[in-house]
Amino acid sequence: MSEPQEKVLPMSEPLENEPLATDAPAPVDFGGRDVCLTVADLDLFYSEKQALNGVNMSIPEKMVTAFIGPSGCGKSTLLRCFNRMNDLIDGVTINGSIYLHDEDIYDREVNVANLRRRIGMVFQKPNPFPKSIYENVAYGLRIQGIKNRRVLDTAVERSLRAAALWDEVKDRIHESALSLSGGQQQRLVIARAIAIEPEVLLLDEPASALDPISTLKIEELIYELKQDYTIVIVTHNMQQATRVSDYTAFMYLGDLIEFGDTNKIFTNPDKKQTEDYITGRYG
Amino acid sequence: MVSLNLVMVFGLLLLIAVRGLGHFWPATVQSIELAESDGTVSTLLGSIVDEEKVSAARVRGRGDYVPEGVEIITRYLVKSGNRDIAGADFSWVNETDIKSRSIPLDAVVIERDEWGNFYGFLTEVKHSGNVVAAGDATWGELQKSIARKTELETQIHRIEKKEIGKINYAMERLRLREKALQLGGKNDPEVFQRLGRDRVELNSRYNEFNDELANLYAKAGRDSITVTTVTGQTVELPVAKLVRAFRPNKMDLGDKILHYGAKVWEFISEEPREANTEGGVFPAIFGTVLLVILMSVFVTPFGVIAAIYLREYAHQGLLTRTIRIAVNNLAGVPSIVYGVFGLGFFVYFLGGNIDQIFFPEALPAPTFGTPGILWSALTLAILTVPVVIVSTEEGLTRIPRAIREGSLALGATKAETLWRTVLPMATPAMMTGLILSIARAAGEVAPLMMVGVVKLAPSLPLDGNFPFLHVDRKFMHLGFHIYDVGFQSPNVEAARPLVYATALLLVILIVTLNIAAIRIRNQLREKYNAAES
Amino acid sequence: MASRQIPVHISQQFDNELNDLRAKVLAMGGLVEDHLTRALSALGNSDSEAAEYVATNDYKVNALEVEIDEECTRILLRRQPAAGDLRLVLAVSKTITDLERIGDEVEKVGRMALELTTSESPKSYYVGILSMGNHVKRMLHEVLDAFARMDSQAAFHVAKQDPEVDEENNAIMRQLITYMMEDPRSISQVLNAVLAVRAFERIGDHANNIGEYIIYFVEGKDVRHTSLEDIEQELKLSSKN
Repeated sequence: MSEPQEKVLPMSEPLENEPLATDAPAPVDFGGRDVCLTVADLDLFYSEKQALNGVNMSIPEKMVTAFIGPSGCGKSTLLRCFNRMNDLIDGVTINGSIYLHDEDIYDREVNVANLRRRIGMVFQKPNPFPKSIYENVAYGLRIQGIKNRRVLDTAVERSLRAAALWDEVKDRIHESALSLSGGQQQRLVIARAIAIEPEVLLLDEPASALDPISTLKIEELIYELKQDYTIVIVTHNMQQATRVSDYTAFMYLGDLIEFGDTNKIFTNPDKKQTEDYITGRYG
Repeated sequence: MVSLNLVMVFGLLLLIAVRGLGHFWPATVQSIELAESDGTVSTLLGSIVDEEKVSAARVRGRGDYVPEGVEIITRYLVKSGNRDIAGADFSWVNETDIKSRSIPLDAVVIERDEWGNFYGFLTEVKHSGNVVAAGDATWGELQKSIARKTELETQIHRIEKKEIGKINYAMERLRLREKALQLGGKNDPEVFQRLGRDRVELNSRYNEFNDELANLYAKAGRDSITVTTVTGQTVELPVAKLVRAFRPNKMDLGDKILHYGAKVWEFISEEPREANTEGGVFPAIFGTVLLVILMSVFVTPFGVIAAIYLREYAHQGLLTRTIRIAVNNLAGVPSIVYGVFGLGFFVYFLGGNIDQIFFPEALPAPTFGTPGILWSALTLAILTVPVVIVSTEEGLTRIPRAIREGSLALGATKAETLWRTVLPMATPAMMTGLILSIARAAGEVAPLMMVGVVKLAPSLPLDGNFPFLHVDRKFMHLGFHIYDVGFQSPNVEAARPLVYATALLLVILIVTLNIAAIRIRNQLREKYNAAES
Repeated sequence: MASRQIPVHISQQFDNELNDLRAKVLAMGGLVEDHLTRALSALGNSDSEAAEYVATNDYKVNALEVEIDEECTRILLRRQPAAGDLRLVLAVSKTITDLERIGDEVEKVGRMALELTTSESPKSYYVGILSMGNHVKRMLHEVLDAFARMDSQAAFHVAKQDPEVDEENNAIMRQLITYMMEDPRSISQVLNAVLAVRAFERIGDHANNIGEYIIYFVEGKDVRHTSLEDIEQELKLSSKN
């Protein structure tokens, strides 16, 4: 397994009559939704250590997909593959492909900055820039070279409203973002991410550093946002996954063990490993 | 340990302050009668500036008489001025020789442009040789006369420095232009004619000013005063050469404080007189500050860019490690070595080449191929750049990864992330580096002696003539001024208090520069504080 | 997938709570079964003491139901169980309702037996009633056994017997109606017997329900209102996995 595998095109192999594709999960029915992201035979190595083992999965559009699994199982690593954040880490090798619709994001031609505009990300700890609330939200737009004050104003208000933060901050929009509470900061970061209108929103444990009320607000927000965005969320909190997600993927030691409808995964999972993990047993 | 350090620091500052600041206080003038060894009595008019206890044997060894049985005697250092008459303006007086001391109320101390202070009594004031005041009215008349002279002097100064200076500068440029044209082989007679016309015009303006000057000088030379020394000798002094006259024994506390303030102001705002032993140190203060500012302007971008390259862009391998070690070691090189490097590389190599290429018309007189404030600033910049690199790198490392990733995740490129987010957050660290480098640079003297500092600079590096900032000029520096006054002065006794005063000034200056930088840094830090925690 | 070995939870306490819960359900089932046995004996042997006992001790069953219900609520609140654990708690919660109903039916049988034994001697039609009672008693026993062993096949076996009980019920009903038509004086007694038969039929239904809960718990499949053939199909599928 430590040998990098040859790149394989997705969907090119028939799924039935392939007993050798051992861990390939049965195709998931997305209830007629389009597929937004497709992961095909993705391997990832940190130097010599393999962190993802031939992951194959599809992520439906305008749905919430949750990744769960114990620490170090590769769920955050997989999430960071979607917007190529792992490129920043020295010694990372990636084999396989990820398709955003039909476009291979690991293609040589892809402009990474543009890709990250299409696939936004929110991190575990709120990381607002030491600037005003306004400038935080306008940051991505300014990067794109938008200077028109009216355009910025509208975008900032729209994003803050979408992140359910507008009413709380509208009177102090030019104050430092660092004066906000942790939960507000995290919603600000989400507002900042949606200001550039991405197609996909990656959330890496977005509520793990927040108090329960703020957590609920974030979850409510995720529920609202899925009207417009495809959301992929990594969480350690299984109750949260059951609350917010439509589909859940369970990962263990770099393998995608099980992927399917959230209700199914949490009431009657197919794999014993999944059951043992979500019921809190030793695997 | 900390308290010991504090005691030492404040003790040092106190010593410097007491020694230096006491110098400007108008001390009481005493008339001292001394018994000479041949039985005659001589009189000394002056103020006691120092005293010490010496063993009688030492005094006897010098041939002075000391009564039997006395083992330790007190000696006083009396500042009696009148260097032009008595030959020396300071003398040591043994306590045993003093017959009597008195305080003559009408004793006058006159500060002059030459020959140091005059101690004596005022008799009369003359206008063009005619006595206009004697007796009680003399003092008032003298003050009026000095005020008039100061007024005239300001005008003279303005014309000499500003107007004539400007004309001289323009003439020099004309000359260089002419030479440059000749060197370039362009012999367009029309241009030379025009230059010639310009020169004629400048010359006529120069002559006008010269006439005006002669007029003013004549006016200023009108008044003179007659004074007598304590030994009865009568001397006539031209008012034009006087700076200030005062009667310390008649002054009350308020007058003395006013006088003190005026003296201190003179010290920090005027140019030096009499081989740096009198007057002020303004050019040295100016030179020091300008040097530090120029140094900051050079060292900050250079150090910051180097740090950004090392931390953000360079591959973290053997090479970068080697560079880091080299940078750290640079900080340990003795500063005089930098002076030698600056002289060899900047002055002779860089400056020489610049002269060859850009200023051939001025040769053989060098423009940049000679020590100057630019080369001094660059030398200090090299001396302090490791500090800026190290602390900027430190600041860049401290910026949380989450902030960079946050910016990158919004579609910013690495350069945009650096410029818009990382660098602003690293400014406190850069300021820290700059503060440390200023602290080091402001106190450096040794390397400067090789690359630009002088005992007495004819003009400031900043003036009203284009391009206003003349980085090729030599300059004065407080640190070097201390060295010069303390060790190179012909008049050691007169210079000693100035050494302390200048040292105090240097300390205050460095502390001020540091405090200013620290305040800026703290403000920045407050702004970015929460993000770093 | 006959019986399941459940691995230990990381939280030992959670394991204890679940084991405790199961033990209490079995205890409750045992109690109900005991009552049923006594009621049958009261009916068959005209044992008025046993009938008295059954008719007055249903409160114990009710108390156990309330206790187990509270336990379930506590576990849901504290542990937020998922998957198998969640299904266990849900199954338990439903099972005890059905057990309590069984308890009520047994109580009815007890009261009826008391009336019958004091008024007359056993009649010939008792044989059929007793046989049906013994049948549902066996079913109850089996389903409790299946619960103890987490055995979905055994639970299915119980469910399969429900139609048999219905058959017996119909046969006895016909017989009793004949009695009533033959001798109208006996109508009041026979009506009591009808009530007893009806109670046994209900007990069989409840046992069947419990069997379905066990299948839900073990297999994760809701087999209520599903035909026996379909259930069998499902069970075969999952036992293959």
